[in-house]
Amino acid sequence: MKRPWYNFLYVRAPILKIGLGIGALLLTIGLLLFLGVVEESRMEAQTANWDGRAVEKGAEIYANNCYNCHGMDGKGLPGVAPALHSNYFFTQRLADVGWSGSLKDYIALTVAAGRPSNVNMQWAQMMPTWSNRFGGPLRDDQVNAVTAYVLNWEKSALTQGTEDNPDPWQFFANAPTRAVAGAEGTAAEAAVVAEPTGPRQPQELFVSMGCGGCHNLDQPQAADNRGPVGPNMANLHETAGTHGEDAETYVHTSIVNPNAYVSEGYMAGIMPQNFAEKMSEEEIDGLVAWLLDPNRVR
Amino acid sequence: MAVQPEIEKKSVVQTVLDVADDVFTRITAGIPAGEVRRMIRGEAPGRPNPRLKPHSEAFLLHIKPTYYHESVTKFTHTFRLGLLSTYLFFVETITGLILMIWYAPTPERAYVDMIRLLSNVPFGQFMRDMHRLGAELMVLIVTAHMVRTYLTGSYKAPRQFTWFTGVILLVVTLFLSFSGYLLPWDQLAFWAVTIGTSMAEAVPPAIVGETVNLLARGAPDIGANGLLRFYLLHVLFLPLILFLFFFVHYYKVVHFGISLPSDEEEVGQDTANKVPADRRVYFLPDVMIDEASFLIGFTALMVFLTAFFFSAPLESIANPQSTPLHTVAPWYFYWLQGLLKIADKMIAGVILPGVLLVLLMAIPYLDRNPSRRARDRRVAIISGLVAGIVMVIWSWMGTPYYAVQGAPAVEVVQKLMPEEGAGHVRELGYANLPLGVYDTREHPVTENEEFNHILHQFEGHIAHFEEEDPSFNTPYGVLTVSQEQPSLKRLTWEIHWLSPEGVEDTFKRTFFLHENSLYWEQYGLRDFSFIRPAADLAAEE
Ligand code: HEM
Repeated sequence: MKRPWYNFLYVRAPILKIGLGIGALLLTIGLLLFLGVVEESRMEAQTANWDGRAVEKGAEIYANNCYNCHGMDGKGLPGVAPALHSNYFFTQRLADVGWSGSLKDYIALTVAAGRPSNVNMQWAQMMPTWSNRFGGPLRDDQVNAVTAYVLNWEKSALTQGTEDNPDPWQFFANAPTRAVAGAEGTAAEAAVVAEPTGPRQPQELFVSMGCGGCHNLDQPQAADNRGPVGPNMANLHETAGTHGEDAETYVHTSIVNPNAYVSEGYMAGIMPQNFAEKMSEEEIDGLVAWLLDPNRVR
Repeated sequence: MAVQPEIEKKSVVQTVLDVADDVFTRITAGIPAGEVRRMIRGEAPGRPNPRLKPHSEAFLLHIKPTYYHESVTKFTHTFRLGLLSTYLFFVETITGLILMIWYAPTPERAYVDMIRLLSNVPFGQFMRDMHRLGAELMVLIVTAHMVRTYLTGSYKAPRQFTWFTGVILLVVTLFLSFSGYLLPWDQLAFWAVTIGTSMAEAVPPAIVGETVNLLARGAPDIGANGLLRFYLLHVLFLPLILFLFFFVHYYKVVHFGISLPSDEEEVGQDTANKVPADRRVYFLPDVMIDEASFLIGFTALMVFLTAFFFSAPLESIANPQSTPLHTVAPWYFYWLQGLLKIADKMIAGVILPGVLLVLLMAIPYLDRNPSRRARDRRVAIISGLVAGIVMVIWSWMGTPYYAVQGAPAVEVVQKLMPEEGAGHVRELGYANLPLGVYDTREHPVTENEEFNHILHQFEGHIAHFEEEDPSFNTPYGVLTVSQEQPSLKRLTWEIHWLSPEGVEDTFKRTFFLHENSLYWEQYGLRDFSFIRPAADLAAEE
């Protein structure tokens, strides 16, 4: 019979088979030994890998959900939400609020549950509940990921507290140990209100004053599309003139004296009352004009 | 007390030796040490042949024939593919059992358990990779075994039923792989299985399809119930079925004997039970040596592949709210996915596979050709080849290369930094992504060669789609790499283009990459960069 081309695969001699078998066995043992030797460092690398990936996932969640209020670089927005990328936050906060657990647990808890009460609150809105265990949108693994992301600021937060790298933490009126923290020099309150160098741009103001935390510029305000905390502003140029005053006055008044008009369905006292002190008249006018510009550029 | 006289006469040494030989004979189920020596020397067995004893004494050997026809022991006749299928099932059982120790089938724990297995269990990743590789090899080998028996015409009388049970084994093997696919509970798993089970929904009439779907998923969508059901299918029900049908299959194989090469055995002829004395090859020791060394060799190959070239994937945790771009089935179901692209679910997902399956089972009853010789079976062999080629084409159509291109801008980013999995950029890693803004119109060049390569590809992909797609005009891309946090970089991909009407359009996608993240591809050389010289470690401490 003609032998097929692959006939060489057919090993006949038993002694050769035994030899190959023993060779393969030794090879297997050798490979397993090699894997065993590097196993420790492999596990370390995997641990670091998954911790790193949690931070990546957390960064995405932060960008989609948190950054509106806590700011792009985690430095907080005045009147909207506190800084997280803050020396004070990493070193002093737990002692001040009297939390005896770890910072990780404190963050995870706050993210998961939010702040359930707005009594004596100095922020524009309450921190929402995020965990789907309490009615929020995030699963536990996502809460953990965003916690990992916030914790990842630690290294750079600890370098804060110098002239050109101030701690962005904002002390509020009734902060428990404002004096203590201030005395330790962990935060430079003055740095929050930067010395004005000419009128600031409306775009910049909208971000730094924290307006974006509650007002969405891209969504129109409509019966079926209402901003959850403050009205949406994409169609402000159409709606502003419908309140009995001309549009400019309406918007201007709403900024300096927010409770003058409270739109149907929103609560008075949510929007900070002190914008007149924080912006110059010129800046406010610029902001009003920009908000009412139908072709507003960001 | 009197001692039996012959024992009294024995020396102590002889007594110990006899006891030792007795123990040895019990362990080998009937073969004394002297006989083993004769086996190793290649001498003929004594009479009566003590090498047959284990086949009647030992449970595991009683299902093995005592001798084979010399012609079927040639490796190139069976390629040991049936043996290998059996062995792979064994390997899967062992590795699977070990994996079960660290795994709980709930959505809260499954994925976290995977991560824990990879990062906290010594040899955990190895076991997982072995199990996954074993599963894919098993599909491959079982299919190859089927092809072999098809080409040698071994399904013909009297072995029709052997083939039939074989087809059942193939189906169970596929279902085993598929049910295991869901268990890591990552995006890859979740969406492949969601799509897979959605075919069940297409079973007519609607009420049956819905019920089947509901039974498989445990709810309208896969969730905690679906995971538990798939787990139970995977670790209990399907292995049991496979086990059962394996024995039916193997009983038939032994009963009829493995078919001789087609020149030596006519259809219907009983050669199994009438092997001429001079053509007999006894299981002990010849076939056993052959099979044992082959399996050891194969194990070495598997360990080698696992160690260097195969890493089971683990994507992001399953998210029912977001379907990743280009969800694909495992490769052995590409053909089905390809079919689903050209026909509707009921035809491609239910009727056609059903018809194919019935055809496959019926082959021995349809093929009335009385010859097993290849030269007389031109039609059968050519149709087999054609079927194989069609399978390959369908499979190719199942890959994302065929008919699922998204918008060009989306595809460009997906090629470099896919939503899930690794991709060039992630494999390059944090350290090789210099901070900066890179605009393809300026053909940026950095000091990092590998990163330049990425930028070059970025330009290349954009240019490619500009040529291909008339609605993608004068496009350019901007990649911004910025430092988001310590050890975390933000990569923003922006692509700008003009629509045919001349309106400018933009696509933007942001990803983050951490310094310690390792991303890997399933196939390809494993990244051993985690091995650091001892000097480095010492320096760190
Ligand atoms: C888990 C899957 C399977 C296992 C464990 C298995 C096991 C075996 C074993 C151990 C043999 C002995 C001969 C040899 O090694 O080639 C055999 C023979 C055979 N198998 Fe399978 N098999 C499986 C699947 C299949 C499939 C999918 C088919 C075909 C559809 C098939 C058809 C046959 C036939 C026809 C024979 C007789 C071959 C001959 O007599 O030459 N088997 N099987």
